[in-house]
Amino acid sequence: MIKEIALIGIVAITTYGGSKSAFALDVPISAEVTGSCIISVETNGTYGQPNAYKLSTASSDGGQMPVTRVDVTLADAYKVKFTPPDSFSSSPTLNDVVTFTGDTEIQAVSDATGMADYETNKVETGTVDEYELTATGSSWFKHSSTATNGGDRAFPSGNYTAYVTAECIAL
Amino acid sequence: MYRFIILFLAFGVQAHQMSPTYPEWTPSYMEDIYKTRVRIFNKREDVKYFQIGVFDKDFKPLPFVTQYHLRGVLFNSYATFDIYINKDVMKDATYVCSESMLTDVVSSGVVSKICSKFKS
Repeated sequence: MIKEIALIGIVAITTYGGSKSAFALDVPISAEVTGSCIISVETNGTYGQPNAYKLSTASSDGGQMPVTRVDVTLADAYKVKFTPPDSFSSSPTLNDVVTFTGDTEIQAVSDATGMADYETNKVETGTVDEYELTATGSSWFKHSSTATNGGDRAFPSGNYTAYVTAECIAL
Repeated sequence: MYRFIILFLAFGVQAHQMSPTYPEWTPSYMEDIYKTRVRIFNKREDVKYFQIGVFDKDFKPLPFVTQYHLRGVLFNSYATFDIYINKDVMKDATYVCSESMLTDVVSSGVVSKICSKFKS
């Protein structure tokens, strides 16, 4: 009796296993492709201090310009807008009024033909720079910033932080 | 004399992504309330929170409801936002934006903001 039950079990397992191995199994690979904008920070910025009353991201002043990359997957769907800092988000107590200047320029593009006019067609409103992203791919932007303390007074010692704002806006 | 100044601290490449480009409003289970959904990918180590906003064509903020207007999104993670809006407000809604919230302590120095558009 026990042998019969064991035999039935073995046959059942074998049959099930055999039929299972014969199954065709569909493995789905799915994707949803939607347009999107990606803002990446490629290089972080650093202010250098060429003299007591000036902070600058220029390499000649000992600083480093932040670099952002913008990737878009749809052409003519986005514009990108960069606003350099106009104040410190954190700093020691300041001893005078600080004047900020800033600018953004294209550093590199992934499509030399389709993105050739980005810098030429840039719209500058004050210190805000706007680029219309007419081609798909990546574009790299470098941002300069200078802070000058009023009356040529020395900046107080401490840590200073300021932000560039990068906006990618659907058209 | 010149002993301070470090502005933006060092990290690898960091990214903020939002999709879709053109979201759409669909009716919700509540009368006169419409719903849309956007997705954010956070690959910024220096960002833990994103602020969501709905704006008109002039970027004036509009009232809307979502679970968290300021929501934590883990590094290298996606987050989906369901956004609800009143039918009367919906006609003015033009943009939905996500903005990275930086801390002064550890930061790349770049605030990223991405706006998708509702096409009428």
